[in-house]
Amino acid sequence: MNASFEEKSVWIQLLSIVVMLGSYLVIAAPMLANDVTALPPFVPLFIAAVVLMVVMLIAGHIVVAIHSRPEGRDERDQLIEWRAESNSGWVLAVGVLAAVAGLVMSVDNVWIAHVLVLSLFLSTVVRYVLQLVYYRRGV
Amino acid sequence: MARSGTSIRNQIRTLRFHHGEMTQKELADQIGVTRQTVNAIELGKYSPSLEVAFRISAVFDKPLEEVFQYTPTPK
Repeated sequence: MNASFEEKSVWIQLLSIVVMLGSYLVIAAPMLANDVTALPPFVPLFIAAVVLMVVMLIAGHIVVAIHSRPEGRDERDQLIEWRAESNSGWVLAVGVLAAVAGLVMSVDNVWIAHVLVLSLFLSTVVRYVLQLVYYRRGV
Repeated sequence: MARSGTSIRNQIRTLRFHHGEMTQKELADQIGVTRQTVNAIELGKYSPSLEVAFRISAVFDKPLEEVFQYTPTPK
């Protein structure tokens, strides 16, 4: 892969967060579908998913660092990150607005919490995808 | 001459060849960016900052205009 260490790091972060979200939703989605309306049952699930993500991040970066010497972030890496952040912020904004709308309509807190958390992580996924597009197609 | 997705073209690949077949990594180390960034500049996928452009010109001891050429895109 003709990619810099920074680009490979983005791949690792994207993969880790997708696995984290997937593993969480595989268990949480059926709970939500079965009308579990209390938040506490979801907390240990979420913590376990975050721990899994952290483990994947550490392991992935160790593997990549063994094969690719980290060179540090240069101006292109910074520009790609800033542009991706700028162009992915709308996902979080939509999630927050949806959560506010839900509060106004007295939707259960468990759904509000999930909309907020999912919009945060989805905006991060969009940011990583954009970074990878900019690395490949140019910025 | 490098293909360009931007309106800035450059002669970096040619200049590297004529400077002892300098590699992209060697140029990158001299100007303080990654090899992949040098590759992206040569392919027109990235326009460097003014400072990096000047550093590249200094490496080849050429005026900026001999290394980079700007073609205004028609409106």
